[in-house]
Amino acid sequence: MHAKYLNLFAVILLFGIGATLLASFTFQEKEPWTPEQLLSPESLAATLNDPQAKQPIVICIGPAAPIKNSIDMGATKEKENLDKLKKQLKNTPKDAAIVLYCGCCPFAKCPNIRPAFSLLNQMKFENHKLLDIPENIKANWIDQGYPVNE
Amino acid sequence: MPTTLNNSDFFKTLLNIMKINYLVVLLSLVAWPSLLQAQDSDIAIGQPVPEITLPNPQGDTLTLSSYKGKVVLIDFWASWCAPCVAEQDELAALYKTYKKEGFEIYGVSLDSKKASWLNMIQKKKITWPQVSDLKYWSSPVAKAYNLHELPFNLLIDQEGNVIAKNLHGKALAEKISEIIK
Repeated sequence: MHAKYLNLFAVILLFGIGATLLASFTFQEKEPWTPEQLLSPESLAATLNDPQAKQPIVICIGPAAPIKNSIDMGATKEKENLDKLKKQLKNTPKDAAIVLYCGCCPFAKCPNIRPAFSLLNQMKFENHKLLDIPENIKANWIDQGYPVNE
Repeated sequence: MPTTLNNSDFFKTLLNIMKINYLVVLLSLVAWPSLLQAQDSDIAIGQPVPEITLPNPQGDTLTLSSYKGKVVLIDFWASWCAPCVAEQDELAALYKTYKKEGFEIYGVSLDSKKASWLNMIQKKKITWPQVSDLKYWSSPVAKAYNLHELPFNLLIDQEGNVIAKNLHGKALAEKISEIIK
């Protein structure tokens, strides 16, 4: 076998394996939300702080409901709380602006966000978003000085 | 000069590539969890920890300093913190092994709902001391210990000075084993 073909093969193989590894670390299982459905904390805080702005329905699906005026649904990893969420939104217009958040831990470890967001997808909501909390509610909301429930 | 390789050279090259990839995977697996768990508090190794005086589930005040003379793991957790809850079984095993050797666990919960806290204590059959002011991240303890995320723990010696910070799993078991001989 010619060395140049072997080298070419080796480069392609190395690239292929590298790309697969990178992909496996970068992309997790398909999430129920799209990147466009992630809402930044800065953006939500600005809306909550603006008395003229139309306010979304903000629902806590994790612990303590720290965000100002948010509805405490309890952890939606529990079926009873997921049912509670379904009941809460039963008569809500499908185009209502809804923001879900948890913040117990980073997205990869959070047991609450996927069941809740999937439920809203199933209920055919059209304007629901997930608060993008890369670390936790303490680091990404409370410590930023964003509005909290007293 | 002819540039041909036989099958043996081909497989040697292939083997080398596989070795490199194996190393990449191994290094990633070692580095990734430590990056994810990276957290530090302002309390340095060797320093005394701030006092904690909080109620236990029965409402009785339990101070951290009352465990002086023992090696104590201060476990900051909450029932809503999935990794914290997952860790409780490992802590139970350590507690069972070393309790008689002067080891104690002092669980500090950042829960906000008493029912959730008590249910998880019962569910995980936690037998070591537990305290909470049920103030979530607003707890003065979270501020005193500069907590940013859970789980977090501190291992303190008989005098209340920090021996180790935020060790989990095998690293924690090895450290406790090393201290309590």
